[in-house]
Amino acid sequence: MATDKELSDFLKSVEKRAFKRTAYTVRNDDAALDIVQDSMIRLSEKYADRPPAELPLVFQRILSNATMDWFRRQKVRNAVLVNLSEFEGADDDGGDFDLLELLDLSDTRSATESAADSVSRIQMLELIDGEVARLPGRQREAFLLRYWEELDVAETAAVMGCSEGSVKTHCSRAVHALAKALRAKGVSP
Amino acid sequence: MRTNTQGFDTTSRTDRLMARFGHRVATALAELQTRQPRHDIDERLRFAREQALERARESRRLSAEPAMALGAGGAATLVAGSGEDGGTPWWLRLSSLLPLAVLLAGLVLIDHHYTRSQIEAAAEVDAALLADDLPPEAYSDPGFVEYLKSARP
Repeated sequence: MATDKELSDFLKSVEKRAFKRTAYTVRNDDAALDIVQDSMIRLSEKYADRPPAELPLVFQRILSNATMDWFRRQKVRNAVLVNLSEFEGADDDGGDFDLLELLDLSDTRSATESAADSVSRIQMLELIDGEVARLPGRQREAFLLRYWEELDVAETAAVMGCSEGSVKTHCSRAVHALAKALRAKGVSP
Repeated sequence: MRTNTQGFDTTSRTDRLMARFGHRVATALAELQTRQPRHDIDERLRFAREQALERARESRRLSAEPAMALGAGGAATLVAGSGEDGGTPWWLRLSSLLPLAVLLAGLVLIDHHYTRSQIEAAAEVDAALLADDLPPEAYSDPGFVEYLKSARP
């Protein structure tokens, strides 16, 4: 069973990422805060007796469900359709696009980019942030869960309620799309 | 065309590159959060966390209380079963059965009242039928004529 301190430390470690991830999806800071708070409370009320190691996966699942609940609660049907349509995702691989070449290029550029001054660094980070925000919902969800929350493929699939193959596809498309968009802007993370 | 080994190598390399790229992007996002802290958001998240922890404490307390009560109840039963008094007067333990007794008595009363009201309603209908004049339509009823014939000695 997680102690108060373990639970507190866990919530503290995930709250900002959880907020950001939710804000990407709902595109409304207040709503994102409400959803994160709701998720924290659900976790604390129902799953505080779980071992600390189980908390990350449970919390991500709760957060995803709470986000979907938020969409369902929206009364304006068109708004819901517009937002949910993002989750469908589009095939944006770009056909003749060579990922290996592109990612290799990204790696070699990073050394020169890291020498940039603070202002340009922030501008670059904001560009990356903007491109992540522009990803289709399911791709962004898979990408962030895999690489930001550092869940493995099986855990990401469990949180997203889809197959592991779908997670790999979403991640691959997200990486392709991000790499392509960032390269077009001359940015390398 | 690639051989299987080459295909596996390429896939593996692609996965590694994807993971490296993904982590770089994630690091960039984390760095942006650090470089551009939003104190209002941080403060609301801190408040939300404290609320959640308070709920967790309350939830634990509530789940612990029934367990303790159950433990105490179990102990009382054991003491009663072993024939020892344990300091609790017998009438106090018996009084815990009082609500059940009241409930049973209430159910019996309701049943009695319901049966009686049904009997009274049937009696009222019978009395009204017997006391009322025979309607003229009854004389043209074949069943009534048959009744008169069969009732004749």
